[in-house]
Amino acid sequence: MLTTRSAYLFLAPSLALYLLFVGLPILQIFGFSFFDWDNGIAGDFIGLANYGRLLADGVFWTALWHNAIWVVLTLAFPLLAGLVLAAILAERNASVVRWLGAIYFIPRTIPLVVAGIIWGWIYNPIFGLLNFALEAVGLGGLAGAWLAQDNTALLSLNVVGAWTFFGFCVIIYLAAIQSIDPSLYEAASIDGASWWRKFRDLTVPLLRGSTLFLGLYAAIEAMRFFDLVWVTTQGGPGYSTEVLTTHIYKTFFLVGDFGYAATLSVVLLIIVLSISAGAFALLRKS
Amino acid sequence: MTKSTRLVQNLILLVFALYALVPVYLVFLAAIRSEADLFSGPLTLSWPINFNNFGRIWSEAGFATFFMNSVITAVSVTILVVLTAPLAGFAFAKMNFRGKEALFGLFLAGLVVPAPSVIVALYGNLQALGLIDNRIGVILPQAALLMPFSVFMMRTVMQDVPDELIEAAVMDGAGLFKIFLTIVVPVVKPGLMSLGLITFLFAWQEYLLPLVVFQTESLKPLTVGAASLQGRYGVDYGGIAAAGLIAFAPLVVLFLAMQRSFVRGLTAGAVK
Repeated sequence: MLTTRSAYLFLAPSLALYLLFVGLPILQIFGFSFFDWDNGIAGDFIGLANYGRLLADGVFWTALWHNAIWVVLTLAFPLLAGLVLAAILAERNASVVRWLGAIYFIPRTIPLVVAGIIWGWIYNPIFGLLNFALEAVGLGGLAGAWLAQDNTALLSLNVVGAWTFFGFCVIIYLAAIQSIDPSLYEAASIDGASWWRKFRDLTVPLLRGSTLFLGLYAAIEAMRFFDLVWVTTQGGPGYSTEVLTTHIYKTFFLVGDFGYAATLSVVLLIIVLSISAGAFALLRKS
Repeated sequence: MTKSTRLVQNLILLVFALYALVPVYLVFLAAIRSEADLFSGPLTLSWPINFNNFGRIWSEAGFATFFMNSVITAVSVTILVVLTAPLAGFAFAKMNFRGKEALFGLFLAGLVVPAPSVIVALYGNLQALGLIDNRIGVILPQAALLMPFSVFMMRTVMQDVPDELIEAAVMDGAGLFKIFLTIVVPVVKPGLMSLGLITFLFAWQEYLLPLVVFQTESLKPLTVGAASLQGRYGVDYGGIAAAGLIAFAPLVVLFLAMQRSFVRGLTAGAVK
């Protein structure tokens, strides 16, 4: 380890860029949130009044609730799928792993904007593949306008989110499984343990660190995702897919209420920072 | 493993492969079919492949320009990140200095910052700097938003450089920057490659920043172009599919060609 002041020179370019375009705006939104804004011009200092508005803002609570649902769904489905798929792939030969790993990851390489367009078609009530497939297997009664009905829109979007995310979980879990000492599995096999027992008693507990990492990653992404909702439903129908980021975007660009948009941004920032602080505490412990 | 266990496992592997690929296949199919038989006939490839949709989208709807814009932005962001993040990663991995923990914590916190939160203040700042509707106004903030991840990953990569290599060079009286260029960089080349690929991927996929910064049509990248196409050409499904394919095909090809390097980068921050 070198003790040197030239470290600051090495840090300077990335730190400058980061502070100017991320750090400074974050300080500013804290400041903005204490003022009354009119047409993009700061007016009176109003203390915590913008924060008081949160309590009465039904859209804010609806959006927050949707983000919470999104967190739970993302933790439940793509993470679990990734874990099971990785555990199965771990015992297959290298070329199968390489190919399936690549196939599962392909949706992650597709921009969310394009993913939204593709799945918008699959969900289309008139010509969409989903309704077509349901009718083909005799479940035509379940067919619907998936993204246009407020009881199915959020869940349908989550399937798209999961589509882009589960392959990432497979890759992270696979890398972790491959670093587990194989003799543990051999010993279990000699004891006559079934695949399921090895999965439950060895793989799952030993991958706790990866699960924490992916859980944190998924929760943060679930709090801050924007593109997918914006290109498909823009928060609708009604407010049925409204999330915090779309609420911020609309408050800022459509309503022009800078102070309240900043307040919402501060709240979102505090939520994601708290989630990560909690997860880091857990990671330290394990 | 019993036969039935293996059968169930293969089924699971297959179902998820279909989940991943069917939507991609559908877009491909819609892009290469003529408008007439888009909604008729089985979901099999038609022959000969019809390239009309691509031609129309590429020249008439401006996707040649959108494509070039995506290339320019993504390449610029990548170069900027690859030139700066490794230096910081090296400092965090191999140097002691006052305030190290606090500065690293500052970057770490940036890992979770939501772009839409930043935009609320960033937009006005870019306006004040005259960077709205300017490529620089997307490139610099984009690189800045990717910086925490990049620095974090580079620190992990740099930690694997043997201390003896650096110490020996210091003994010989070489300057730190020279050591970085001649000794560290060659050792971490695979890591730099991964960083470049992942940065390129994220920069190419970016939607929010170009959406709010660019007003001039001829500056917009593929993501913004494809999204607006959906509204304007609502019924030109073949055209929209071709546009979507143009927007993601380069990334899929890049990923498949450089899979190993991608995976190394994605797992660098996660496993350790």
